[in-house]
Amino acid sequence: MARRQAAPPDDPALRERFEREVLPLLPNLYSAALRMTRNPADAEDLVQETYLRAFRGFSGFEEGTNLRAWMYRILTNTFINSYRKKQREPVTVQEDDLDEWYLFDKLGESGVEPSAEAEVIRSMPDEDVQKALEALPEGFRLAVLLADVEGFSYKEIAQILGIPIGTVMSRLHRGRRALEKALWERVRERGLVSD
Amino acid sequence: MCPIDCNDVLTQIELYLDGELDVSLHAEVHDHLGTCSDCADRSEFQRRLKAMLRAKCGCDEVPAALLKRVHAILRETPPTSR
Repeated sequence: MARRQAAPPDDPALRERFEREVLPLLPNLYSAALRMTRNPADAEDLVQETYLRAFRGFSGFEEGTNLRAWMYRILTNTFINSYRKKQREPVTVQEDDLDEWYLFDKLGESGVEPSAEAEVIRSMPDEDVQKALEALPEGFRLAVLLADVEGFSYKEIAQILGIPIGTVMSRLHRGRRALEKALWERVRERGLVSD
Repeated sequence: MCPIDCNDVLTQIELYLDGELDVSLHAEVHDHLGTCSDCADRSEFQRRLKAMLRAKCGCDEVPAALLKRVHAILRETPPTSR
């Protein structure tokens, strides 16, 4: 990737503020980048590109507005514009035949007590859960990632993804059901419940 | 006003757990969950599922090489003036 020649920053205060407020977001941004790109090399490049764009544009960031959402918007746009094209998208799930309480009911049907159901999921290796999330179609994956992993509100997600709030809600709802189906498949593969 | 029933509550659980209900409906759902164990079990499962996703999908260790690359950007790139 072409990088500008080294040169001293023209505003030391801006640079300090960037270090103080934006650098601490790195671990979360890297995790999000991993879920988006599904491989460490692309995730590192994506995060580097995001920081480069953010730093160059930081003087245009309005103080007092949502810095985290601003960074995730840059991350998401960079992913969509630069990395997505390289990747093969998974086949779209048939979301319309999924029950509202898919995973809860499947675990219940296999004899797990309600109080122990969450424990079954908690006992799954992290990698299984990450793979299940990463296998979701992109629109669902980004919505679930931003809501459930990053904790953004619907309004913030709408701003980050540049879509209406109604679309956020629909993608979240369908994405969560699809994720539950994928988690159930992993539960069965791992033999965490008896059939 | 009729209190909300299980069907109403279960259709609102997702928004309830996301903190997206208005104050009065949030309170109604909350009160119902305090008295209905079936709805409470379902709500608690979804709440823990969300927490588990966050714990398992958001805590990857940052590679040292990436940390260096990001610090290099700060050293070498001037912010663009407005």
